Amino acid sequence: MAVATPKKGSLFRRQHLFAGVTLTPIMVYMMFFTMVPMVWGILITFFRYSPTRAGEGFLGLGGANPFVGINNYLDLFANTPTGQLFRISLKNTLIFSLLYLPLNLIVTLPLAVLIESVSSRIKSFFRTIYFLPTVTSAVAVSLVWGVIYHPTFGLLNLGLRALGFNGFAWLSDPNTRVLGIPLPMICVLITYLWSDMGYNIVIFMAGLQGIPDVYHEAAVVDGANAWQRFRYITLPLLRSTLTFVMVMTMLSSWQVFVLFFVMTNRGGPANLTRVLVLHIYETAFRYQEMGLAATVAMVLFLIIMITTLIQLKLLRKDWEY
Amino acid sequence: MAVLGKPQTLLKETTGTAPAKTGLHVTLGQVLVYLVLTVGIIYTLIPFLWMLGTSFKSATEIVRMPPTIIPEKFTLNSYLTIFNDPRVPLGRFYMNSVIVTFSIVTMVLFTSSLAGFVFAKYQFFGKNVLFTLILATMMIPFQVTMIPLYLVLVRLGITDSLLGLIVPGATSAFGIFMMRQFIEGIPSELIDAARIDGASEFGIYYRIILPQMGSALATLGIFQFMGTWNDYLWPLIVITTTEKRTLPIMLTWYNSQHGSRADLTMAASVLVILPIVVIYFFFQRWIVRGIALTGFK
Amino acid sequence: MSAQKSMSRRDFLRVAALSTVGGALAACQTATPAPAGGEQPKPDAGSKEKITLRMWSHQNPSFVGANEKLVARYMELNSNIEIKYENFPYNDFITNIQTSMAAKNEADIIEMFGSWVQSYAKGGTLAPVDEGVLTLGKARELFYAAPLDGYVWEGKLYGMPNEYNLENGAVLVNKRMFSEAGVKDPPDWPSWDALVADAKKMTKFDGPTMTVAGFHFVNGDGLGFLFWEGVLEKGGEYFANDGVHLNLTSPQAKETVQWMYDMAVKDKVVDPMTFNPNSNWVGESFFQGLVAIGFIGPWIVPEGRRNYPDFADPWGYVSCPHFGSERKFAADSGWGKVVSPNSKAIDECWKFAAFCTMDKANARQWNVATGTIPALIEVAEDPTLLQDIDWIGPSLKVLPQGRYVGFLQDRDYIWYTVLATRITECLQGARSVDETMQLMNNEANAMIDQKLQG
Repeated sequence: MAVATPKKGSLFRRQHLFAGVTLTPIMVYMMFFTMVPMVWGILITFFRYSPTRAGEGFLGLGGANPFVGINNYLDLFANTPTGQLFRISLKNTLIFSLLYLPLNLIVTLPLAVLIESVSSRIKSFFRTIYFLPTVTSAVAVSLVWGVIYHPTFGLLNLGLRALGFNGFAWLSDPNTRVLGIPLPMICVLITYLWSDMGYNIVIFMAGLQGIPDVYHEAAVVDGANAWQRFRYITLPLLRSTLTFVMVMTMLSSWQVFVLFFVMTNRGGPANLTRVLVLHIYETAFRYQEMGLAATVAMVLFLIIMITTLIQLKLLRKDWEY
Repeated sequence: MAVLGKPQTLLKETTGTAPAKTGLHVTLGQVLVYLVLTVGIIYTLIPFLWMLGTSFKSATEIVRMPPTIIPEKFTLNSYLTIFNDPRVPLGRFYMNSVIVTFSIVTMVLFTSSLAGFVFAKYQFFGKNVLFTLILATMMIPFQVTMIPLYLVLVRLGITDSLLGLIVPGATSAFGIFMMRQFIEGIPSELIDAARIDGASEFGIYYRIILPQMGSALATLGIFQFMGTWNDYLWPLIVITTTEKRTLPIMLTWYNSQHGSRADLTMAASVLVILPIVVIYFFFQRWIVRGIALTGFK
Repeated sequence: MSAQKSMSRRDFLRVAALSTVGGALAACQTATPAPAGGEQPKPDAGSKEKITLRMWSHQNPSFVGANEKLVARYMELNSNIEIKYENFPYNDFITNIQTSMAAKNEADIIEMFGSWVQSYAKGGTLAPVDEGVLTLGKARELFYAAPLDGYVWEGKLYGMPNEYNLENGAVLVNKRMFSEAGVKDPPDWPSWDALVADAKKMTKFDGPTMTVAGFHFVNGDGLGFLFWEGVLEKGGEYFANDGVHLNLTSPQAKETVQWMYDMAVKDKVVDPMTFNPNSNWVGESFFQGLVAIGFIGPWIVPEGRRNYPDFADPWGYVSCPHFGSERKFAADSGWGKVVSPNSKAIDECWKFAAFCTMDKANARQWNVATGTIPALIEVAEDPTLLQDIDWIGPSLKVLPQGRYVGFLQDRDYIWYTVLATRITECLQGARSVDETMQLMNNEANAMIDQKLQG
């Protein structure tokens, strides 16, 4: 790490002073809006807390918002509608995230390789267009895809019917499954892929450009074909990028909210697209059960922490490679 | 950063199978490449075109069977309806979005570059602990803290106000992280030389560091802009009254349990994404560079 | 790639400083924390002091238009009162009310749905009606019981209804489709079977795709109304014996859902996959010419006319059949005015609420503009009302046969999340009728148990 060599005497004190004066307010401010909520959030998971009930003690806890120990956590595993709904949301979140990661990689990595292979002027055109959906408001994305998926007037069914197929009730069919995955969930996956794939394409392209050309040249001399070059040169040298992409993609897929809120109309049909983030929002703000909602949020946090730490461990290994 | 404008080698252009570049193979391979990429482009662009097309159709034409692909009769009705809807003060929503986005972007740029500078170029007790703390807050998803954060704002009395949107967003852990990564790359000799010349510490930040950071600031700025402009969940929670709503909240205005007219929702969508698309085309170089930067360092 | 191309530091600092200050200032201007009650009248300064009241409602344009007129006239008559009126997307309205009540910055006057009122009254977030303005006894004389009962909690009145909310007793019909299919118009259905038989003749398919639904009843509001009506007319009761919990597994309840299922799956008069609360909602698809008979309340007419001005088919709103010997149904209370206990000028709020709901001319004007059924008996019984809302006759006829649906703890949860969602899923084939009844019963009562705790 490049650090200015500390000098003795007043110069050194002056630097300390500057660091203290600038950093202290920024850090205090930031911690106030992150760590305070974090601690408060953990605290209310032990209370049956709703701001609609006037509590007695500190922060409105106690009284009508009684301490319930770990009951909120136990509720998540109880055989009640509350528990069931949580577990459905958890299951859907896992389905979504675990499917989205490979889906994204299968599409973005080859696309990035292909875009990298074309001449540089047209390349930046492709990159610009592919990235365009990522700047678009998620609400607008949900609305336009909702129109595309519309069973009667939607573009998708229009196309299918023109080809002689039957249309589908894409977003409201609770029965149709493809490889066991509910149709509406597939629709969300496709839409999210559309809105998100630009990021990874650009990251992969940057990664590809970091691979020295000599490797490929040498492989060509040795008679390797395109697939072999990809498999034995590009892929291994791209591993750190790949791991990074996996962490980031996974992280963001846990947090998708708007598509499930607007496009599939709050987790419908039959709760097939109800995910944890939506469940947290509804529990906290529609039903005002904030203690319970914070508990679900903690579970989500735990899942995210664990998956991230595992992946970061992989990442560190790769960086040492 | 080897991100932009690096000349391509011939080798990467040959995605054909033959090691030697015989004309026909190359062309076939390239045709395939362009074919796949064009299909991808169609997938990417169709929703935009459909949005635009639908916004110019009349409500009747949208539901006609069989449906039309290109508007038969171009009409601006949906846009006029939105502009003339007294219940949707569009100008106000734009204003709110601009105020919130602009405030957050400038504050984040300022706090991030300053803190990033200190973390990159100063030695002090507890530095590693503090930086780890910042990295840790980056790991906390917003959804985990949004409930208590809302409760904090209730106690501060700034729910249902633009301040409620701005205040929690004035600092960014990601921004500090990114700025530190960038500033570390600036040679310390520059700073030492300035000190010898008698520059103050803030003067170093202002005269030495900031001028080097144009692209990094632009990158962080554009990211922050996109994030704030498109944010939906937090305004949904914090804002209630009409005159304080931001644009994404306006989008769901025409999409409700009791009716959603596709012409209106699509026209509203066009109006909301237009500014950001324009800005994107201006700044896309920095976005690409920023992704590469944060993706690698 | 170099710094010069982007932003000079001077520019940056200037912009940063200006906009931070400017942004914060602008934000402050719009962000003055607005406690209910607004401009704080000095209590003893007399009525000449300007008082600002805030009022909220949902966004349906006809409702908003009706309220705007009342607000304007009231401000004209009372120069010291200013009412700032705002409205909300329907989907976010409840959440907005709740979050703002928790933060105590809700509006002074809220146009609330009657069947929500008891939940809020129970939570202590509504002010009881000023006895000087209206007593409960007097209210019983003025309003129908069904809408009024929603506003009563533990013997106290918490607001005044504008609307008697029901969708029972009548259906929208597309007369063009009737004549094209040779169906008798106006219809005179002796039973549901007769209606379904006609609906079948008007249902159209393009291959397997339903292009016209003969009888579209798969709607968020409608499924609940039909369900309660079916249970009652078949001689059942949806409240459990304790009068608090629900009994959704009774034979009558099951028969009702089975009947809906048969209409959708056996008779195929509606395809619940494509015609449901989320896509092709009846309030739209009827005015898009996709529905022959639609089950929905009379309030949809002004909305439909407004949203689909090109809809040219002749239409009507006609009586529909019922089960059993006589019609029995449960109505929602309906939209009306309630007042925040945090308001600084509660008295003034109640005066305005009374102006909107108890004054015959005003109440009538509100009902006419919104196409809703009057809660004020005087208005509903006035024969000239039909001159202004000519389609509402069939609904008026059934008013005396309706009762208030009762306190459901969280009405929207029961109505939409449980009834409408689960029955739609059942019709779509996601669960059997038996499983559906069991699931609905569990979910509804679990919510009620939870509410009883606190």
